[in-house]
Amino acid sequence: MVLYSFIRGIFKEALAKKILLTIFGFFTLIIVLIVFAITNSTVEGLQMMLESKSEGGLREAVMMLQSGIVSGVPMFMLVASMLIITSSFVPDMLKKGHIDLILSKPISRTKIILGHFIAGVVLVFVSFLFLLGIIWIIVSLKTGYWNFYFLYSVLWFTLIFAVLYSAVILIGLLSRSSILTIIINLLVFFPISWLLYLANRYFESDQKGIVFGAFAEAVLKFLYQILPKAWNMQDMCDAFITQNPIVSYQPLISSLLFMAVMLSVSIWYFNKKDY
Amino acid sequence: MNVIEINNLTKHFSSKRFSGDKIKALENVSFNVGSGEIFGLLGPNGAGKTTLVKILLGITFLTQGKAALFDKPVTDVNVKRKIGYLPENHKFPNYLTGEQVIEYFGRLSGLKKYDLDKTTYKYLKIVGMDEWGTTKIKKYSKGMMQRLGLAQAMISNPDLIFLDEPTDGVDPIGRKEIRDVLLELKKQGKTIFLNSHLLSEIELICDRVAILNKGALIKEGSVEDITTTENKYIFTTSDLDDATMNKLLLEYKSTVHGKNEFTCLVNGVEDVNKIIDFIRSSGILIHGVNQEKNSLESMFINLIEQKN
Repeated sequence: MVLYSFIRGIFKEALAKKILLTIFGFFTLIIVLIVFAITNSTVEGLQMMLESKSEGGLREAVMMLQSGIVSGVPMFMLVASMLIITSSFVPDMLKKGHIDLILSKPISRTKIILGHFIAGVVLVFVSFLFLLGIIWIIVSLKTGYWNFYFLYSVLWFTLIFAVLYSAVILIGLLSRSSILTIIINLLVFFPISWLLYLANRYFESDQKGIVFGAFAEAVLKFLYQILPKAWNMQDMCDAFITQNPIVSYQPLISSLLFMAVMLSVSIWYFNKKDY
Repeated sequence: MNVIEINNLTKHFSSKRFSGDKIKALENVSFNVGSGEIFGLLGPNGAGKTTLVKILLGITFLTQGKAALFDKPVTDVNVKRKIGYLPENHKFPNYLTGEQVIEYFGRLSGLKKYDLDKTTYKYLKIVGMDEWGTTKIKKYSKGMMQRLGLAQAMISNPDLIFLDEPTDGVDPIGRKEIRDVLLELKKQGKTIFLNSHLLSEIELICDRVAILNKGALIKEGSVEDITTTENKYIFTTSDLDDATMNKLLLEYKSTVHGKNEFTCLVNGVEDVNKIIDFIRSSGILIHGVNQEKNSLESMFINLIEQKN
């Protein structure tokens, strides 16, 4: 009941502030662009290229196309835009005169935080489902190959968003500022976690050109371990779509742990704070 | 039965983050509020009134002491099912209509759609806002927002309602209507806890009041008790002759106000009876004897000035 109220409230807020309209307008534009971009010749060209290299046929061509659609840059743009859109939800809730009303209701503070978190995630899930679902239908209709694994990208992108949104909740609680929340989260998302992702790939590779000091390497590895691994999760999403095996679930597990820690700290802080 | 019980309630705030300095917002405050009462909490700005209400509602946490609602600690979330609250300077999301505000906060109070369909317009009508239910609240005036806030506080049919400056920004007719609503709620057996600067209003509707100053409780009691000056009596009589007037002035230390009224400072009812005997023996008719009453406002100002 409480969760439903928060979800309804957040959808109403998104509707009233024309956030939903902006999201769906922007997504519709992307869809229209994809409709025009994916022509028969594009797919045939890809298919011929793969066949010439003996790397597959139509199935692989479609997967390659879909993999490109949800690659790193589009993922960053989609998730970042959603983080910007949702970053005001917690600071708005904390405004004097509004938080008093919420806290006077028979809802525990833990439920209030979880309610806001889940409501934000549901909003983003619906938005991604709309965008990626329609893209999947368009690609499938145009190519004639229905790669159901592509739909997992909705879950993966929502998961990436959820991990980062847990930090949005905590920073929003601490700072009560939407702008600061956006800046810090986007910095963590890009470039910090991206550079750490690249650094980790470099450390794992056999060929090492640049020499890091032992201390610097330890610090970077430590930061990589504790911060969310959005870019690794995008790789995992790609592996799902192309039906390749996932090398390691460690980035997913540590990102989920990061989310759990962020939410736990948020709940702890909110439960002891005077308003 | 006490609906609110407060014992030695103390609240200290840190003056600055990471500094050890403390601001004493409340210091050893104790009082009770009984079921069905309209209780007024008075005090100058910064006295700790809103902090006290916030502690009772679990919005702020107490430092020391005990606070209970319906015999349960204020930290018990379930006790809030019996509570309605109208905060001072409340902010409803301005993209909602009046009806949607009631529904949103009604749902958070645990009401189901079926209950809300039945009660939303009932409460909007009680506060005179039923014709504005479908209008976005950004078009509402301050007074309309207060009325909506009151409807929001009543929506779950709570047994105890906290109202922080409920008539702030409301015109005199609107204030009278809100007073009538509160008196109607009292008739239904609801307990109302009122924070207000408008002492004349508190005097009109409250059964009991407490006065806070600088975080400490300086007076508590019924409005009747607080406004009555125990040892001062007003006599109204038929025309007083000069001899009687002189004796009243000299022997009974009275203050004469014209030919038909005088006031006396007495030590007890025996003195009052002595004066009555004297007046009657002088052949003067007594029309009335009343204890002098001060307005709540003058009592409040006197008390605060004494304490400061």
